[in-house]
Amino acid sequence: MGPFPLETSVLGMLATTVVHPAGHGTAALWDAVAQGRTGLRRNDLAWCDLPCWVGPVPGVDETTLPAHLQPWDCRNHRLAWLALQDAAFRRAVDATIARRGAHRIGLVLGTSTSGIRSTEIAYSERRETGRWPAGFSYRRSHAVDALCRFSAEVLGVQGPMVAISTACSSSAKVFLTAQRWIDAGLIDAAVVGGVDSLCLSTLHGFNALQLLSGDICRPFDAARNGISIGEAAGFALLDRAPAAVHFLGGGESSDAWHMSTPHPEGLGAQQAMHMALAVARLAPADIGYVNAHGTATLANDRSEATALTAVFGERSVPVSSTKGVTGHTLGAAGILEAIITALTIERQVLPPSANLGTPDPQLTVDLVTQPRAALLRDAMSNSFGFGGSNCTLIFGRSD
Amino acid sequence: MNSLRFYLYSAGVLAPGLASLADLRAACRSGQPPLAAAPLAPPGPAALPPNERRRASQVVRLTLACIEQALRASPFPVEMLRSVFATDEGTGEVGQQMLETLATTRQVSPLLFTNSVHNAPSGYFSIAWRNRQSATVVSLGLESFASGLLCAVTEAAATRQPVLLVAYDPALIAPIDELLPITESTATAWILSAEPVDSPALGSFALELGPAGAATPTPLPAWLPQRWAAHSSAHALAALGLLEAAPESVCHLTLGGQLLGLQRMDGGAT
Repeated sequence: MGPFPLETSVLGMLATTVVHPAGHGTAALWDAVAQGRTGLRRNDLAWCDLPCWVGPVPGVDETTLPAHLQPWDCRNHRLAWLALQDAAFRRAVDATIARRGAHRIGLVLGTSTSGIRSTEIAYSERRETGRWPAGFSYRRSHAVDALCRFSAEVLGVQGPMVAISTACSSSAKVFLTAQRWIDAGLIDAAVVGGVDSLCLSTLHGFNALQLLSGDICRPFDAARNGISIGEAAGFALLDRAPAAVHFLGGGESSDAWHMSTPHPEGLGAQQAMHMALAVARLAPADIGYVNAHGTATLANDRSEATALTAVFGERSVPVSSTKGVTGHTLGAAGILEAIITALTIERQVLPPSANLGTPDPQLTVDLVTQPRAALLRDAMSNSFGFGGSNCTLIFGRSD
Repeated sequence: MNSLRFYLYSAGVLAPGLASLADLRAACRSGQPPLAAAPLAPPGPAALPPNERRRASQVVRLTLACIEQALRASPFPVEMLRSVFATDEGTGEVGQQMLETLATTRQVSPLLFTNSVHNAPSGYFSIAWRNRQSATVVSLGLESFASGLLCAVTEAAATRQPVLLVAYDPALIAPIDELLPITESTATAWILSAEPVDSPALGSFALELGPAGAATPTPLPAWLPQRWAAHSSAHALAALGLLEAAPESVCHLTLGGQLLGLQRMDGGAT
């Protein structure tokens, strides 16, 4: 039984694609995030009357899947489909299939609620009429693995696949699973990612826990009082081949504390960050930016700031949360923020924490409040979830 | 590719008529499924604090009772175990209660939402045994056990830590059981390691991934109730039957476009 760290391979991020509340594509994402311009708006969903802010992906309601994919139609797969329209991403996947073979490309995707919105609608109809709506398929919409089957069909990859569902850490943990499969020689490359879509379950669920803000979410603000929920789909192609930005490694842990409240000192978060640093063979001082989980709940931001201070020291590393722009996209937050962290390294600019009024003076972090130029080599992204599930990822420049 | 070796040190089994690994092995030897038994009613998990114990949902009771069994014969301190939870529709009755509430009053209680997340069992596992290791919940429909096994064994190999793999399906109730015919709860918990330790193993195995079509997927054996054919975890129960099989016996499991071969190797105690 050996302790960490063991040899893990460094993986090139050959291509990424994303749709998010601020638009479609990585360029639109960076444009909004680098300026701290929010994609959130007051809740105007026709099917939910909670007084909150939401981050729907533009155009999702008008999106139609092509005829041969119609059986898979649900909000979650429309988001996936929109993201998978990115021509550069598809070319990169096709080239990798040609080079490696479709069966040598794995698929590891995260989601917390999959296509549950379809079942919410279908269940209401079943109650009223005694029958499930014609054409409703639990398997092809709401089942946790539906996203994997749908994405494999669209992309034509044939390697091993799995869906991960650990709430808000789901699509961060996908990087580690893919890396282990590559290290075991099962595959040469992997499409990782995650999709989560707006639904009554999470809106009313977080409202029940009094974690849903009536205001726009304000991570690390003294007046923060909860999350705003967004939706997103994101994918990244990982390969042994070099790329501009590499996935260097990550750490996973459990709080073993409480189902819906993080450990007050963020012990599990500290453990995940330390493990990620050890696997990436980096010291805290090597990290030039942390994209925080930063949900804007009182407890999360306090616990995460305490953990960051314990790992890095007081105000020792620039930190921001980009959830003020995208909202908390739950099971898609890991991949969305991994892509933002990679963009931060590429562009050498640190994105600010959006919607900030007064930074909470009790949080001893070097909060990025304005876009900030930086000489940045390695950066960290945190994703912590319900059930005390923690995951930290580290990305770095290849040169 | 090289096959992945692993050692199974302990296993819990919980299903109607199968209350332990010993029950499962006896059924396997007899070739007969267990007699129809009453539905499972696992008690509140003793390892949880009293408050949490009372409020534990059906699937939390199911998984924690099964894990408790496996821990009794485990050579590893529980704090060392990483965990992989593999399930198809792992929210069970709670998922339906959530849908019913959203279709009517929309007055979701904090407890209902907390219990409705897919990683409620893994979260309660970590709380119950103060386990701060990585816990992952994976799913792949009827192939959930195959995907979980692959994740658990590659985690054990990559981290050189023992891994707890829990494969489970909580019973569903009407009308959701019209969509997925899972009407009984079935679960199994495996404690495995990629390296042998100084303690007798139940068996040693090799895992190999190959193209679909390379072999015929192993059907559910006759000693398991055929009404569990829609349970992803029934394949995990079937795989435990390899402990009663001759060395070199193989169980083939579909996994996306791939086929996962689980082979019993020599060296296990029988």
